[in-house]
Parts: sequence; C-alpha cells; structure tokens
Amino acid sequence: MSVLDQNAIDINPRISEAEVGDYIALLKPRGMAMAPGHFHWVLAITSLLCIAVGAGASGALNMALEGDIDSKMSRTANRPIPRGRITRPEAMTFGMTLAFFSVMTLGILVNWIAGALLAFTIFFYVVIYTMGLKRWTAQNIVIGGAAGALPPVVAWAAVTGTVDVEPLLLFAIIFFWTPPHFWALALFRSDDYARAGIPMLPNVAGPDATRLQILLYTIVLIAVAAAPWALGYFDAVYGIVSLILGAGMLVLAINVYIRRERSQSLRATRKLFAFSILYLFALFATLLAEVVYRALAPMVGGA
Amino acid sequence: MIAGMADKPEPDGIVLTEAQKKSRRQRSIAIALALGVLVVLFFAVTMVKGPAVLVRPM
Repeated sequence: MSVLDQNAIDINPRISEAEVGDYIALLKPRGMAMAPGHFHWVLAITSLLCIAVGAGASGALNMALEGDIDSKMSRTANRPIPRGRITRPEAMTFGMTLAFFSVMTLGILVNWIAGALLAFTIFFYVVIYTMGLKRWTAQNIVIGGAAGALPPVVAWAAVTGTVDVEPLLLFAIIFFWTPPHFWALALFRSDDYARAGIPMLPNVAGPDATRLQILLYTIVLIAVAAAPWALGYFDAVYGIVSLILGAGMLVLAINVYIRRERSQSLRATRKLFAFSILYLFALFATLLAEVVYRALAPMVGGA
Repeated sequence: MIAGMADKPEPDGIVLTEAQKKSRRQRSIAIALALGVLVVLFFAVTMVKGPAVLVRPM
C-alpha cells in the first residue's frame, strides 16, 4: 500500500513508491494548513508540488539502492527494478534529477529554509535510513521514521520561514506512530524480511519482544497525539477524537500482545497495521478540519 | 565478404531499434512537459511575488 500513489504528483509513480517516504506527500498539507499567516495559493501549490516530487525522488533513490533486496521480498518483487522494466542506474539518475529540481525549486521560489529541510529529508531517508540503518540495526524504522515525520515541518517552514512548536508536535506524532505501524507489518512479513536479510525487530529480538515494543510505543503515541489539545493549540474536539482513535490503537496493540498463536497473531497484526493507517489519516484529517473551521467560522458568522 | 560490404555499406554510429526510438521519443516528451511545467511555475510565482521574488528568508 502506498499513500504516495494517492497523493504525490510525480512523473513515474511506480518507481517512486516507497516505505517510510510514502507518507511524505500525505502529511505535508497538514503542516501547511496549520501554519499562521497568508500564503498565496500559487506558492502553496508550488510547495506541495516540490515536496511531492521530493518524496518521489526519495522513493526512486530507495529503489535504486535496494533492487537486490526488493527482488527477494514478495511485497516488493513487483517493483519496476526487480521486474526488469527499469535499470538501477536509470532509477538513480531519475531520483537524483527529481531531488535536485524539487529542492532548488522550493528554495528559489518559496524559501531556503524549506528547501534545506526538504534536502535534509531526502538525505536522511536515502543515506541515513536506506544505505545505513535499514540493513544495520533493528532500530532502523524508529530512527528512519524521522524522514517520514519531517514533511509537516517542511510545510510549516514553507509558509513561515521558521520552525516552531506546532510542526514539531506533528513530527512527534508521526515519529511515534511509525514503530507500531511498521513492526505490525514486520510481524506478518517476517519471512520476507528474513529472506532479504533485513534486521527487522521480529527477526532480531523475536516476535514477543516486538509485541511489547508495539504496545509501549502505542501508549506513548496516544499521549503525544493528545499533546496539541493538552498544550492548547487545538480544541476539545480534536482532543476527544485523538483519544477515541488512540483507544482503538491501544485495543488492537493489546490484541497483538495477547494473541501469539500463529493464525490469530497474523490476524491481529494485520488489523493493527490496517487501523494504524486509518488512525493517522483520521487524526490529521481532524486537525485539518479544525483549521478549516477556524478559518471559515468568522466569515460565516459575519455574513 | 568485401564485396558484400561494398554492396551494403555499414551505417555510421549507433542505429536504434524501433523500441529504443519509441522510448527516446517518450523520454523527450516527458522532459519537454517537465520543462514546460517549470517555466509556467517560475512565471506564475514571479507574477505573484512581483519585485519581492528576489526576497527570501535565509
């Protein structure tokens, strides 16, 4: 499943499909909508386009570097490089070109803080996560999750030219959401990851330790997700929605922790994985709805 | 052999297959479209920002 497919505007969506980076294009508009001040729609579209293309660049470079392991995993075996439709040097050139133009265009047309943050996001995803962490440590997706969590910060910087507490809260939500989401996937795809030699947590520390980690990260996630309400940035509507969604995540994470028999465990992890996608989407949709409501309320009230 | 070569001279350079020609054409169209988008984007932002187009933080 690729969120990028639904959101990004890139030249070749298949080659630009990726993992952590998939969420870049989806999450970016939330940071932009929350940021204060007037932002011309042409600049908003330009920023969206640049970050979407940057996300595509990350995906293309990721696949260029991982052609060998993608062919060993059923989840990724249909990507263009394992299928032989595109060569690795072609994907690398395509990715570098997209990365260069997305960063330069954002920097020149919007501002250089946003451009630099986008460049750092691509660098972190491709060099730190893909080339380093992923094949080296079981904490790969925890640290690598920062790449997927940065886009709201980039979007905020595009509008304001600065970095503030609000986008960092969004960063924290995505950062703590990533481990339960990807470890649920890793639990029911552990054979895939073992075949490819990727040290995902279930293959290194075992499924039981992974289930405990999922539960612990979910508890932290619920607290962090409620922080924008607790700190007074958002109203009770968001707070209640975040707690209801968090309760859903917690129930499913407890379910994953309890059910350890093979078929029941598979069902529980698949449910958590699927719900985690809905969770993040619904959480950010609520944030967006509240921002839109705030913007429209004075106009409606004044009419 | 020599007589054969005289009858049918070797063409200069690399000769592309039909599939390669089609692929090159598609690449050229994609590059042209991308360039067009960039031109429109830079024009639109210049119109929006006016003289402030040269003023950016950092």
